[in-house]
Amino acid sequence: MKSPWIFHLNTGSCNGCDIEIVAAFTPRYDLERFGCLLVGSPRHADVLLVTGPVTRQMLPRLIRVYEQIPEPKVVVAVGTCASSGSPFLGSEMVEGPVDRIIPVDAYIVGCPPRPEAIARGIIMAVMSKFR
Amino acid sequence: MDAAIAFLISPPAVLLISLLFEGIDRKIHARMQKRIGPPVTQPFYDLIKLFSKERIVPITASARVFETMPMIAAAVSLLGASILLSNILSGSSVIGDLILVMYLLAMSSVALMIGGSASGNPYGVVGFSRKMSMMIAYEIPMFIAIISVAFGSSPSLAINNIIRFQISLGLPLAASRPSMALAAATFLLCMPAAASVVPFDIPEAKTEIIYGFLIEYGGPYLALAKIAKAVSNFALTLLASAVFLYVPLLLGENVLLNLGISLSLCLIESLLIMFVTITVPRTVLARLKIGQAFKFYWMLPLILSISSIILSSVGL
Repeated sequence: MKSPWIFHLNTGSCNGCDIEIVAAFTPRYDLERFGCLLVGSPRHADVLLVTGPVTRQMLPRLIRVYEQIPEPKVVVAVGTCASSGSPFLGSEMVEGPVDRIIPVDAYIVGCPPRPEAIARGIIMAVMSKFR
Repeated sequence: MDAAIAFLISPPAVLLISLLFEGIDRKIHARMQKRIGPPVTQPFYDLIKLFSKERIVPITASARVFETMPMIAAAVSLLGASILLSNILSGSSVIGDLILVMYLLAMSSVALMIGGSASGNPYGVVGFSRKMSMMIAYEIPMFIAIISVAFGSSPSLAINNIIRFQISLGLPLAASRPSMALAAATFLLCMPAAASVVPFDIPEAKTEIIYGFLIEYGGPYLALAKIAKAVSNFALTLLASAVFLYVPLLLGENVLLNLGISLSLCLIESLLIMFVTITVPRTVLARLKIGQAFKFYWMLPLILSISSIILSSVGL
């Protein structure tokens, strides 16, 4: 697939990963050259980027946004919190990591991951799912 | 070319060219921001992807209206653009005139607005009301400019008669008289709002009301909406280049007789018009508020268009 449109959901992230996602769209890295667009509505999206360890408040919202994306869709967990829950694992306020709630196609670890890593993760997830 | 053949080949040609134009616009936009940018064929990839996605109709939407409106929008703008192109191709005006083309292009954004407001999403309704105000702001000067052109050219509303009038003058209409130059300026000033690109993208402000009336559309519906927008943008640029600035006539008889060369000159010119009125503003300017946009359109273009009418009525 040559036009993965990306919806970004922050589920209690510290904003570090979110800034790196935006950085991946800046002229230096330019994800749009792969056809990626950062869209504002889950209805338009193909790729769901989840950052953060999924707090209890965000749990129903995460599921709802996931269901609002039309099939076929890809979920990418960005950052160590989303991938493994890292320092917040076991907290009673945290329901994550993301793959405990929705199926995840790619994990991008790092705190925060570099924009190159995010670009690679998105492209690999899309390639493996759509071929 | 025969009118029937021209009208048959026009819709697919319009679809192809307008998507290509959108791709070129995105590429130039990216290059102006020092990015590499998507390939020129990116809109085709987008459409193929969108058409293969799931159809979702929100439970809050009134399903019939929500589903049919994108189809109406796409069909209507495709019809408007192909009337225009087939008029140029066939060299006779059998199918429709300027008013019909302008009406069809306005109709396509009205259809999208109605569909979006039927989605049951508050942002869709906000987008609807903003688009309503924007249309009041830019459609009036635009129509006055068209009427002024109709009076100024022999008087006729048929696209082909206007082109022939320019050929008999030996000058593009915009260069012929001050009143026509004002009308052309008005039309070009209204282009960014009609295409709803950045300084005037208030109805679908992406970072503010999340595409407004397009918010609940996904998959095939969104693809149809994208087609409607791309095609109507192309139709507007082609209209400007055919009616106001028909340049092929400057290169003499031989060029005019050769349909391929004059048509490709026309298309190159509409590409230039798209660059000036769509790509440049959307790259260098920031979004206005609805009040500012309204004020702008009822100050400058409206005054320009009314003075164009006045000038043309005194024979200038």
